[in-house]
Amino acid sequence: MITQRDKILSAVEKPTRYTGGELNSVIKDPSKVDVRFGFCFPDTYEIAMSHLGLKILYHVLNKREDTFCERVFAPWTDMQQQLKIHGMKLFALETGDEITHFDMLGFTLQYELSYSNIVRMLKDADIPVRAADRDETYPVICGGGPCAYNAEPVAEIFDFFQLGEGEDMMNEAVDEYVKWKKSGKKNKRDYLEAIAKYDGIYVPSFYDVTYNADGTVNEIKPNNENAKPKIIKRIMADFDSAYTPNSIVVPFGDVVHDRVMLEIMRGCMRGCRFCQAGYIYRPLRERKSETLLGLADDLLSCSGYDEISLSSLSSSDYSELAPLTGGLLDMTEKKKIGLSLPSLRIDNFSIELMNRVQAVRKSGITFAPEAGTQRLRDVINKNITEENVLKSTSMLFKGGWTNVKLYFMIGLPTETDDDIRGIAGLSQKVLDEYFKIPKEERAKNINVTVSTSSFVPKPFTAFQWEKQDSRDMIIKKQDFLKSEIKSRRIKYNWHDNRTSYLEGVFARGDRRLCEVIIKAVEKGCQFDSWADHFKFDTWLEAFSECGIDPDFYNMRVRAYDEVLPWDHIDIGVTKEFLMRENEKAKAAKTTPHCREKCSGCGVAAFKAGVCCE
Amino acid sequence: MSNYILKYSRDERVKYISHLDFVRLFHRTVRRTSLQFMFSQGFNPHPIMTVAQPLSVGVTADGEYMKVGFDGEYTENEIMSTLNENLPLGYKIIAVKQIFAKEIDLTKIDRAVYTVEAETNDSPDIDAFMANKELIVPKKTKSGVKDSDIRPHIFGLSQLDKNSESMVLKMTVSAGNDYNLKPETVIDAIKKYECADIGFIKIHRNALLEGDKDFL
Repeated sequence: MITQRDKILSAVEKPTRYTGGELNSVIKDPSKVDVRFGFCFPDTYEIAMSHLGLKILYHVLNKREDTFCERVFAPWTDMQQQLKIHGMKLFALETGDEITHFDMLGFTLQYELSYSNIVRMLKDADIPVRAADRDETYPVICGGGPCAYNAEPVAEIFDFFQLGEGEDMMNEAVDEYVKWKKSGKKNKRDYLEAIAKYDGIYVPSFYDVTYNADGTVNEIKPNNENAKPKIIKRIMADFDSAYTPNSIVVPFGDVVHDRVMLEIMRGCMRGCRFCQAGYIYRPLRERKSETLLGLADDLLSCSGYDEISLSSLSSSDYSELAPLTGGLLDMTEKKKIGLSLPSLRIDNFSIELMNRVQAVRKSGITFAPEAGTQRLRDVINKNITEENVLKSTSMLFKGGWTNVKLYFMIGLPTETDDDIRGIAGLSQKVLDEYFKIPKEERAKNINVTVSTSSFVPKPFTAFQWEKQDSRDMIIKKQDFLKSEIKSRRIKYNWHDNRTSYLEGVFARGDRRLCEVIIKAVEKGCQFDSWADHFKFDTWLEAFSECGIDPDFYNMRVRAYDEVLPWDHIDIGVTKEFLMRENEKAKAAKTTPHCREKCSGCGVAAFKAGVCCE
Repeated sequence: MSNYILKYSRDERVKYISHLDFVRLFHRTVRRTSLQFMFSQGFNPHPIMTVAQPLSVGVTADGEYMKVGFDGEYTENEIMSTLNENLPLGYKIIAVKQIFAKEIDLTKIDRAVYTVEAETNDSPDIDAFMANKELIVPKKTKSGVKDSDIRPHIFGLSQLDKNSESMVLKMTVSAGNDYNLKPETVIDAIKKYECADIGFIKIHRNALLEGDKDFL
């Protein structure tokens, strides 16, 4: 029998993106659950299935007998076309059922440039985009992830947001949903009022935002007695015992991170001033190596993966690194399983480790000095010195590695021509280290790649008040750096200034941007982080049709006393601390990391992790 | 090391998995079991496994073959049940045979049997089609698309079913390294020689054979 499914799946480029049925995916009888939940990732299957948060929450939800969580990803343009031709709506992977009348949808907000895809997916599902236009017959829609900390640009789309780590909060939200559903689902407001009392849950419609004549925010004020004036994020304080799934869905096709990811820590103690992750995930919490080894064994044997990777913001800070890697190697060497060690500082220990890990093949090694001079590295509190970099690369070259990538940012606050020149200078010195080694002792074909991204000031960082470099300025700086790099052995890659610009607008945007996002999607914008699909001019048209000047959001310095659109959100790190850090940045003064000395950021109130060591 | 010939099927649920993805999937399946793959020597050791005639994306099958090397002696039943417990739903091992030399040589596969369902409002005359002395159609080869006479490579073609919207054909055609005739190409020839308008086609591979005999 030739079916509609046959025709659709034969017409798309990668059908296994849509078929489901992967190993360890969960199948339940939808008629036997109270809650049908769609975990939505607003990007392609390959990106979505690489995301650790999805892997965790999928199992958190499916562990519940009353809930069936399915995955819902952004259909690629070929599939969108098929849906249209066949008059179908966006469907969930496990059952293939349309999501239009699911109970709940949860979107993960990983990057600003995925906002258009959220709108696109709702439209593909025939669900009204704005929360206010959805009655009780439509799913309740929530959002989480890093961008939820300032989700104001998409606030009108969502019924509620979850701020922080979702393992417990998700269960509370579903518990309340079940109660509400059993009571007859009379009024969505009743449900939202019930969950608004939990820490971490932010119901945007319960807050009114007023603006000053100059366009800045005047006030963010609760309009519902259940809404807290400030919403504090949630964390799993005891991370070692926090639930983590011992099962993992194994995709059929190639995905970006196609391996077991072992989350060894959450949070980071370094305090780089540009880094939003470094602030929002505080405090640093570790899992015991013993716990991790057991978990690694479970995940490898249930998946059959031949690669495992450590996952954290800075693996070198993990205090049980030696026993963990030793134990993992015992496990992986026997079974011919690859071990990858990202975000590791290069020293004798890690070189020895890497030699054991990759007996023959020497893959590329990445360094992120982020800035070209010591002064600017002090400004951003990136605690890595030129000597560190040169010593490490020299060790690597002696060890037979020849592929080094250096990551920098351009457009950082206080940056001058000297700092840009410093990027070229440091890269040249790295190359020189290679040539200092006698020919017989070094491997052939040296490759130094320099990549620059453009700095985007993010909310909840020390630089949240700063101006972003204009697109012209970024181009000028990129050209200057190109002219400063003399060696043909150094390859230079740079980021598109247009995507950085848009990212900057949404990162610190307010509720007035929602209209722009919806308009841009109506005009055809989607998949903005895919170069082939990014339509910058269309975005600019959408801004202008909505009468909004995007420069307002990223081309000006904000005063400390300006009300920021995210001021009602509390990540535990105080605004005063961020101001202090901003001042220290201006003076190029560094701040020690959490284990060296507590700097009083405020997050100690959570009484967890590194704050209690 | 011990070598085994595995015969397996795949159904609708997994028919869109590409050959390379299947190989990776099978590696992972074995890793989940107590079976130990034999690994190749060299810089990048890989499990020893050869799939006889890779299936195209979208094609289901009853009797595919692969040869696998395991490090250790396992009974045929043990291999079959262990793999079936661990393969994703839709793949099934239906026979296993240990081999000690070349008593089963999968490189000798030279025929395949297909069932093809094709959307058409026309009624092509299959007997008249088969009566043609030659059937020249463009065929993909390593050096590009060339006209080829496929008639000597069709060993049997019959119509199993016909209604106003579709027909079901069964065909036995050349397969393997010397000359591999895809069912799509046979359909192309029917379109050309019988002036038939044929739309979507759905393919199922019933068997892989050496002459007219199956391996397991």
